[in-house]
Amino acid sequence: MPAYLRPTSALRVYIDGKDEVEVEPGRSVRETLVSLNIKPELIALVVVAGEQKTKDYVIQDGDIVKVLAVIGGG
Amino acid sequence: MNGYGGHILRVDLTNGKLTKEPTPAGLARDFIGGRGFGAYFLFKEVPKGADPLGPQNKLIISTGPFSGLMIPGAGKCDFATKSPLTGGYASASMGGHFTAEIKYAGIDSIILEGISPKPVYLFIDDDKIELRDAGDLWGKGTFAVEKHFKEKLGEEFQVAVIGPGGENLVPYACINHDYGRQAGRGGVGTVMGVKKVKAIVIRGTKSVHVANMDAYRAAGKALYKACKDAEFLAEWTRYGTTVVTSWCDEVGALPTRNFSAGSFEGGKGIYGQTMREKIVITDKGCFGCPSPCGKYSHAKKYNAYVEGPEYETIGLLGSNLGIDDIEAVAQANWLVDDLGIDSISTGNVIGWAMECYEKGILSKKDTDGLELNFGNAEATFALIKKIAYREGIGGLLAEGVKSASAEIGKGSERFAIHVKGMEQSGYATHNATAMLLAYMTCDVGAHHNRSWAITYDLQVGRELVVPEKVARVIWLQNFRPMFDVLGSCRLQWVELGINRDLYLPALEAITGVNRTWEDLEKVGERIWNLTRMYWARENEGFGRTWDMPSPRFYEDAPKTGATKGQITKLEDVNKLLDMYYEQRGWTSDGLPMPDKLESLGLTAVVA
Repeated sequence: MPAYLRPTSALRVYIDGKDEVEVEPGRSVRETLVSLNIKPELIALVVVAGEQKTKDYVIQDGDIVKVLAVIGGG
Repeated sequence: MNGYGGHILRVDLTNGKLTKEPTPAGLARDFIGGRGFGAYFLFKEVPKGADPLGPQNKLIISTGPFSGLMIPGAGKCDFATKSPLTGGYASASMGGHFTAEIKYAGIDSIILEGISPKPVYLFIDDDKIELRDAGDLWGKGTFAVEKHFKEKLGEEFQVAVIGPGGENLVPYACINHDYGRQAGRGGVGTVMGVKKVKAIVIRGTKSVHVANMDAYRAAGKALYKACKDAEFLAEWTRYGTTVVTSWCDEVGALPTRNFSAGSFEGGKGIYGQTMREKIVITDKGCFGCPSPCGKYSHAKKYNAYVEGPEYETIGLLGSNLGIDDIEAVAQANWLVDDLGIDSISTGNVIGWAMECYEKGILSKKDTDGLELNFGNAEATFALIKKIAYREGIGGLLAEGVKSASAEIGKGSERFAIHVKGMEQSGYATHNATAMLLAYMTCDVGAHHNRSWAITYDLQVGRELVVPEKVARVIWLQNFRPMFDVLGSCRLQWVELGINRDLYLPALEAITGVNRTWEDLEKVGERIWNLTRMYWARENEGFGRTWDMPSPRFYEDAPKTGATKGQITKLEDVNKLLDMYYEQRGWTSDGLPMPDKLESLGLTAVVA
């Protein structure tokens, strides 16, 4: 079952403007971000099925991984 | 005028005279509203050299064309004055529900002038406007006073109130509203205090005319739909601004122990996630907000109910003081709000005092017996009270970190973290050159919200000193404050990522004036240059040296954390300023050149 990474809109430029991209289960969120040329330090929040995860979370089959970047600030 | 209340209300506190005049159409055209109105009135009406605490200074409270209308977060209100903290321009933005009532009372700006001979409050119920005695309220905390008016007059009245900090003229006193929203920075509460105005209480019931009702409804709905459809609405609402606490810790931007580092070993105790689990009761939003960032919390340990803490307060009253307990931060938050002093400046100056104590520059003899070690929450609570009432060492700290360090000396000026006398807010900038430049050149002193450029540092390379970074800072400075001009919150654009072009049809439908973002950014640039001229007019010798950051960011590399050993070189600090002035069209000493002023239509304004 495929897994997907769904980034905040400001980061969609890294996935050809799409809303989400299929990613490989078994790798951490951090490794996945690096493989997409997204700097992990831009990400403030990782959420899977409504639960917050760390960037070291290993992506599972069927996951939809939402990553929130802080771009604009307070 | 469509989209406006239509009147400027002048309150002459010296003589008790109240007058209304029509809002000038040319002012709306060139400065639009909110922050634009405040900057214009300040420059034109407060005479050169006016004492910030004297009768010539004014407090200008302004709405924008979006205020009180069906626009996401249209609850923003601008407070402008000559700052008693910096001697320059002060502008503080406040959310909540206050600005909508001003608009509904048919008012665009309230201008407080002169000084009242006795404590008063300003009562506005549509056209019934009175100065009423506030002798029995003087000395009380902000929460009690707001509750008093709500019970006496009804929930529909909105209240802006100062606490003992404003009454005692602490130069970074704030104005409180809605039990937890503030006009926080630069001492706007101090000016209200010296004018002896304890509160403004307002209700408005009038209609606001818009140019095209159908188009207004359609544009407003499109904006709200974009917010509702935003991918991260739920996550943003869950944490609000506290979502960045853990991120700042990770990247070395979290102010830690008086900005000596950017990562805090006790960070987990104050992260947004910890806060949500331990103390948050519910979410709380401002007028018309689809994504409420406010968190209403209960710190059981202290039985403190408070809106917050939000990120800036967590950074300055938490990690910056070495405090790793979110309940203690919430208690400190409650105290500063009730006493009416800015949580950012207060946390910054206490951090400086703690570093002085740990270095032996201040001793127990100087601190009224308090052990001012980092991490001492009880001492923090005690100091907050001492500052608000100017008791003991509180009298020194009440003057702000620039003045306090100048008085104490012994090298403490090197770790007084401010620009132009305003204490730096919640981002450590040892190695984030765009954010450092944003602080250096901010129009009120070291404040973050004009140009939040730190992620741009991370995107392009944090140590880089290149023209593109400077251009980014300038663009943000021209663009972001436009939300404070229009009277709505920037966070829907910033955090939900909605398309900013959605605001343009709304503005046209409301005002009848078609504007592009290029046009609006030009207005932003006009205001930025006008406030720069204000600083120069009010401060002899104003120029490049005023834009220098705290030496901490080019002398003291952090010894721990994500930015360990990292620093911005002094030559790069100067290079940043060179590029900034050139791109702004300013002299090498940082003053707008005549042709720049001419191109912005400011020649006659500043003459």
